[in-house]
Amino acid sequence: MINYILRRLLILPFILFGVTILIFSMIMMLGPYQRLSTYIEDPSQLKGGDVDQLITKYGLDDPWYEQYGRWVSGVLQGDLGWSESAGQPVTEAIASRFPATFELAIFAVIPVVMGGIWLGVLSAVHHNDKLDHTIRIFSTIGWSFPTFVFGLLVLMVFYGILGWFPPGRLDNWALTVVMSDGFTEYTGMHVLDGILNGNFDIVVNSFRHLIGPIFTLAIVWWSFILRITRSSMLETLSKDYIRTARAKGVSENVVINKHARRNALIPVVTVAGPMVLGLLGGVVITETVFGYRGLGQYAAQAAAQLDYSGILGVAMYFSFLLILINLLVDVSYAVIDPRIRLE
Amino acid sequence: MNFLSKEPLVQVKGLKTHFFTEEGVVKAVDGVDFEINPGETLGVVGESGCGKSVTSLSIMGLVESPPGKIVEGEINFQGTDLTKLSQKEMRKIRGNDISMIFQEPMTSLNPVYTIGNQISEAIMLHKKVNKEEAKRQSIEMLEKVGIPLPEQRVNEYPHQLSGGMRQRVMIAMSLSCDPQLLIADEPTTALDVTIQAQILELMNDLKESYGMAIMMITHDLGVIAEVSDRVAVMYAGKVVEYTDVETLFKDPEHPYTWGLMNSIPKLDQTVERLEAIPGSVPSPLNFPSGCKYNNRCPLATDKCREIEPELETISEGHQVRCWHYKELERLKNERAETAKIK
Ligand SMILES: Nc1ncnc2c1ncn2[C@@H]1O[C@H](COP(=O)(O)OP(=O)(O)O)[C@@H](O)[C@H]1O
Ligand code: SF4
Ligand SMILES: [Mg+2]
Repeated sequence: MINYILRRLLILPFILFGVTILIFSMIMMLGPYQRLSTYIEDPSQLKGGDVDQLITKYGLDDPWYEQYGRWVSGVLQGDLGWSESAGQPVTEAIASRFPATFELAIFAVIPVVMGGIWLGVLSAVHHNDKLDHTIRIFSTIGWSFPTFVFGLLVLMVFYGILGWFPPGRLDNWALTVVMSDGFTEYTGMHVLDGILNGNFDIVVNSFRHLIGPIFTLAIVWWSFILRITRSSMLETLSKDYIRTARAKGVSENVVINKHARRNALIPVVTVAGPMVLGLLGGVVITETVFGYRGLGQYAAQAAAQLDYSGILGVAMYFSFLLILINLLVDVSYAVIDPRIRLE
Repeated sequence: MNFLSKEPLVQVKGLKTHFFTEEGVVKAVDGVDFEINPGETLGVVGESGCGKSVTSLSIMGLVESPPGKIVEGEINFQGTDLTKLSQKEMRKIRGNDISMIFQEPMTSLNPVYTIGNQISEAIMLHKKVNKEEAKRQSIEMLEKVGIPLPEQRVNEYPHQLSGGMRQRVMIAMSLSCDPQLLIADEPTTALDVTIQAQILELMNDLKESYGMAIMMITHDLGVIAEVSDRVAVMYAGKVVEYTDVETLFKDPEHPYTWGLMNSIPKLDQTVERLEAIPGSVPSPLNFPSGCKYNNRCPLATDKCREIEPELETISEGHQVRCWHYKELERLKNERAETAKIK
């Protein structure tokens, strides 16, 4: 097990190298003037100054490998350039928005994964019953709507008509509270900070803003996970070792929850990687639709305003995140399946 | 051998297990009768698809339902009719009084749990012992079935063991609660010949020491000869001949049994003389009327095509389901003649 994780960690530098090369080659596709934005620390440098001089200063005419070396060492020091669209350095823009997205992701991914697996197992165990049909109808609906359509629908119904779940991250009064001196922002995640400050009005308020985006992400990805879990569970339940377990006198509950589910999860974990990728796309869309000030919204805004340094910064950040998540996926793979762990 | 003095352990009477599918009713088991005495090995033989596995799953209460259902018959085990028991009551019997091993050792064990975990699970289900004791007993069982280094193997996963070893693990698991009856559904079919012989020998040895009865299901008469006391020959969901193993090989009375005998090589015969039974097993969706063997039987008459024969006792402990079994003698003689001429 430890060996397995170590081996995964050893290839990490190579993957990171690959990612930086990829991002850097995207930068190199830009002209020197556009590229400049990914180097400067302050927009005032561009004003009035001689741009050609800046190009020479940052060595943008040098051979690509020299430029790459300089760029990477900058990145390693947390320097991703100036973000035009955010009006602040890219690193700061990302740091200030990360807690919002992280909060959303935690609240969305946990119910999605748990709920999706639970529903998938339920559907398989009751296959061809009424319950199974109902679950499948809802999952088909969930899966056939694009995220943005669903998001707009949620916004229209629950905010526009019912007024329950407003967009954004906080109401104005709550924002004032959060910004005030009496409130310490420990994590930047409002729900957690609200709890830590003992201010439950903030907890409730930020939760009301979270529900729409969570719901939107959850519906789509629930459908996805439950479909895979269902079919994999159905297949697993017809396996010989399930019959063996029953022949031992094991109860149906244990057959499902011990013998079948763990095996059925193996294919689910396999698609977890691509799913996270899709989920990130979903986060960008959802945050944009709900005006939720997180990384996804930043990415969309940077793209719309051709803020190259912003786009590349977010791309790099998401890539690292993905690598990390894939590592987690690989590890959970090994935890579930001894054939991988012991190979 | 005389088994009549003993009370039978299992008594299957008129068992019918059907599958209600979209294509129609599959009469997989359609009136099966046999008994197994304590400590006896009953061999159940027949071509693939004749209902052997469904019969054994019916005894275990493991027929997939829907689409399967026991529509008629009794399975008396130590005085209780198993077909009347709830799943909950059956669970106390499965793995405890009756246990089962299967054809595919490669897939019969759960790949994500250790050998020890899987054997201990059976032990803890039926005996009041804690985890440590269950593990100790698992190791003991592994040793009994001839697995080397049992203390080490107990912590391994199925994929680390060969097919033969996995079947030994299955046997260890099935015997861990001292069952009265072990059902073995083609336990050696998926193994190669040498391993096959070892497993059969192991089962014979364990039968001696445990004294349980065995229902040995196979399509291989060689296996039958090796382990059985009595034999039930099945064809198209029914028992067609039922007798002790010596009589069966010396004096088969059903044309189907005789056909099966001719399709296995004997030491005094050259292999070219080997012949499979012509024609194929009728689909259980669409059985012929009358005797179900009539499309392949050399003795078939119009009567056979119209009326199905009953299982008839032709001598003590020998039952045959055939209108014309007496005429089989003639065929046997003819064949002996031609063999001589050649
Ligand atoms: N779940 C099922 N659904 C429909 N038909 C089945 C099912 N299980 C078994 N059968 C049918 O029952 C018949 C007997 O099968 P089986 O008992 O497995 O034969 P065998 O003697 O080879 O063990 C076969 O024709 C098979 O197709
Ligand atoms: S009843 Fe007729 S068809 Fe059936 S086995 Fe006997 S002789 Fe053959
Ligand atoms: Mg079978």
